[in-house]
Order: sequence, then structure tokens, then C-alpha cells
Amino acid sequence: MSVKFNNRDPVYVQVIRHFKEQIAKGYFEPGQEIPSRRELANQLKINPNTAQRAYKEMEEQGLIFTEGNMPSCITKDELVLKSVREELMMEAVDLFLVSIKSINVPLAEVLDLVQKKYDADNGEVEELT
Amino acid sequence: MIEVNNIQKKYGKKQILNGLSFTAKKGEITCLIGVNGVGKTTIMKAIMALTPIDSGEILIDGQKIRHDSFEKITFIPDTTTMLPTMKICDAFEFMADFYKSWNSQRAEDLLRFFKLESTNRIGNLSKGSLAKVNMILGLALDVEYVLMDEPFSGIDIFSREQIAEVFTSHLIEGRGVILTTHEISDVEHLIDRAVLIDDGKVIKQFSVEDIRENEGKSVVDVMREVYR
Repeated sequence: MSVKFNNRDPVYVQVIRHFKEQIAKGYFEPGQEIPSRRELANQLKINPNTAQRAYKEMEEQGLIFTEGNMPSCITKDELVLKSVREELMMEAVDLFLVSIKSINVPLAEVLDLVQKKYDADNGEVEELT
Repeated sequence: MIEVNNIQKKYGKKQILNGLSFTAKKGEITCLIGVNGVGKTTIMKAIMALTPIDSGEILIDGQKIRHDSFEKITFIPDTTTMLPTMKICDAFEFMADFYKSWNSQRAEDLLRFFKLESTNRIGNLSKGSLAKVNMILGLALDVEYVLMDEPFSGIDIFSREQIAEVFTSHLIEGRGVILTTHEISDVEHLIDRAVLIDDGKVIKQFSVEDIRENEGKSVVDVMREVYR
């Protein structure tokens, strides 16, 4: 696991986003064990306090859960998992709309293009972040 | 906590530190940032009582530094402190003789991690290997505070990654770390707090995650603002 972090968004927010993407992608399965805070810090080369903060936040959002002294796991709550995917989708669509509207392109014109591009790039699109 | 309160320091007529204050907490990595010659190394030496200060006060967990403080705090300089004729294992023995807090098991682990041979002579080591030896000598002490002077300077990319790995491991966790750098990009995601220094003073200190969260700025963005 390696993530390219930008320097302007809080690293913990970027870590959470990374987890959400992995969940939406299906890379993390419900109930799957995730690395400990220290392992994560080490893997991503980030400050352990930051990893701690990301986990705390994800726990509060119900994305992960920890029982006693056990390793943390991805939630089994289907509703939460579904909402993660929806949230990421909405974000992408919103972003897309903003850029399209800023150059006054009508939707009909662009949708056709989206369809074509999507078909052509299919398979490669996945890894783009 | 390490508290540096209003310290002043002159070298001859040149005022290096001019009322400089900051704090560094345990469990956090604090980074002193400033251009070359701004006095970063002098600050570290002052904390370690390696150079006298003209005025002001430095406290470690509320106490002035004493002989027994050196079991609690260590300094990893960017030059070698061991004799060039010594082998690495001799240097380890030297440390074991002088420090109660020396953890020889950890030293061996670190030696293996950095892929160094204990029979190598200090004088024959490359700059990067020397930096790694210095790091081992410091990190193998069971101390609460670690000061590191330019841990990344003059070191190749793979060694940098190794050192970055050390920073995110149990070797650092829970300790208070102060490091200096003039190359922030190496440590941007590793540090908790940044202390920007210019003209012998602290011009800004902040939590790097807070500044990203509240102002959407990178450390470099903040530096651009304050160094103009």
C-alpha cells in the first residue's frame, strides 16, 4: 500500500479518503482486518500521531470498529459501506459538474463524450486518483 | 516537554539567537526550519548545554539540564563524534560504558536494519553510512528526547527512505523529537509541528495538520508567507 499525499490537505483526511476508496473499490471487504496504527504509519511513511487521528475519525464515522484489544476491522454495516460508495460518486459528479459548468458546456454534448471516453479507457480508469 | 525561553546567543559580535522561544512536546516530532546559518544547530547545542547561552532559560520536563539529564535526552549531530580509528562495535562499547540507558539489543537491531557491519571502521564510512551510525548511537539510547541535526542532508534517496521508515516506527513513537532541516519536503508528512526561525527568533510555530485543515496550506505555503 502506498499513497501519494498532497501537501495542502490534512494527511489524516487523505488517509481516510484512501480507505474510503479502497472500500468503494471492494479491495477492503466488510469485517476485514486492517493494519495497526503503527503498521499503517510505517507503510505510508506518515507520522504515527496522524495515523492515530485517521483511525479515531474513521471509528467515529463508523467506517472501522475495534473490539477490546483486537485489531481494527472494516465495518460490516452494509448501509455505511453503501454510503461510502455513494459519497465518493457524488463528490466525483459534483466536481465534474463544476468544471463543465465553468466552461458553459451543455450536458447533452458532454454526456456523449463521457460515454465514449469511458468505453475507450475502461479498465485503466480504475487506478486513476 | 522541552521549553526554550527567550534565549540569546552571540558568536563574537554576531547575534545568532535573539530572544528565541519555543516548546517541543513528548510524543511529537517538532521540526526547526530555517535557511542555512540561521542558528538551528546552535539551538540544539544550547539545549544539550554544549554551548553556553548569554541569557534565557532552557527546561527539560521543568528542570534545567544537569549531568543526569543526558540519560533522558540525546543529540544526533550531523558530524561524527567517534574517533575515526574506532570500529562500529567499539563505538557501541564506548556508548555502553558511558550511558546507563544504552540498549545494546536495539543497537544490533538497528545495525541490521541499516545493513551495516559492526567491524567497519568509522573513518572508512561514507557520509551516508556515517549518518546512519550516528542515528544508531542516538536511537539505541532509551531516552525520552532525541535531537537530530539535519538527519537527511547529504544522504541518498534510499537511505532517506530508510531513515523516514525509522521516523514512523516504534523507535520514535512516544519520544519527543526535535529535528532541523532546510529541506522541508523530506519531512512534510512526518512531523507534528513546525517552528520557523529567522533573524535569531521564532517567527511562527504551528501544527502542520492544523494549518492544512484550517487554512488549506502546506508548510511551504506558510514559509513563503513568512519569509517574504
